[in-house]
Amino acid sequence: MKKLALGLMIAVPLALLAWTAHFILSAPSYDWNVNPTPAQLDAAAALRDHLYMQAAYTVTWAIQLGYLAWLVMKWQAQKQ
Amino acid sequence: MKKLVFGLYALLTIALLIWGYYQAIYVAPLDERQGEIYRIFFYHVPIAMVSSVFFAVSLAGSIGYLAYRHSRPERAQIFDAWALAGAEVAVVYCTIILVTGPIWGRRAWGMWWTWDARLTTTLVLWLIYMSYLLLRRFAAGSQMQTVAAVLNIFGALDTPIVYFSTHFQKVIPTQHPAPVFGGGPDSGVKDPRMLAAWGWNLAAWLAWGLLILALRYHVERQQQTIEAAEAQRALEA
Repeated sequence: MKKLALGLMIAVPLALLAWTAHFILSAPSYDWNVNPTPAQLDAAAALRDHLYMQAAYTVTWAIQLGYLAWLVMKWQAQKQ
Repeated sequence: MKKLVFGLYALLTIALLIWGYYQAIYVAPLDERQGEIYRIFFYHVPIAMVSSVFFAVSLAGSIGYLAYRHSRPERAQIFDAWALAGAEVAVVYCTIILVTGPIWGRRAWGMWWTWDARLTTTLVLWLIYMSYLLLRRFAAGSQMQTVAAVLNIFGALDTPIVYFSTHFQKVIPTQHPAPVFGGGPDSGVKDPRMLAAWGWNLAAWLAWGLLILALRYHVERQQQTIEAAEAQRALEA
């Protein structure tokens, strides 16, 4: 049970990091359309904003939980 | 009793973080000029502000260590543990600032990074404290803690430079927005819902930071006990 919890503590930050990369990479690029209409430009910008915001929130949690996992591992090692 | 208090505090912190997230995403209105991307500020700005608390804890720890290292070695070790714990948590927070900032900058400025005063001084601060942590990790010998404490005190001098780097626009041009508070006539949060979201997240990240700071301090004190016991055993052998 302890090993499973520790495994999860390591896996979750790594998954969040991968998720962050997914958000950034899946955002529409700036030159996706040669002649975009204003509506298409607005839609792409809104989607980009949303994905980038999600990326920022996700990476924050990836770093915080990653550090917490490292701390718990260190603590467990000391107990042994 | 200690465990109960710690557990209750951890629960309160998690509740604050969930509430802060809810406020930032669902309650705070859209910004007219920036749209949804500005919501990054509800994490970026409070984390930046809270990081200065941990830099201050680390600085106080190093000063205390240098003050007591000869007269009261046991107390000096306690200060040293606070110095290390504070520096580590501060570096974690600073890393988040340096990662989330460019994500916002990519949308707002069209580029990930620019060598302006605020960004550069923050990066330098991060590098100084990373070198402090690497010194603690890899250096050995009786002088290591003293050298690390001195480095910490000099590194902390960069903290006010980071804060004031956006105040001298005429001297050092910067693209970074002015501080939320005390940054001039245009600074401050106008909408009360935005202010509430910002305030809740400030409280939440401060509570979280204090939680991991306490945990890191505990781990470091245990490490000191283990090392002292090992040294004693080696002497006796």
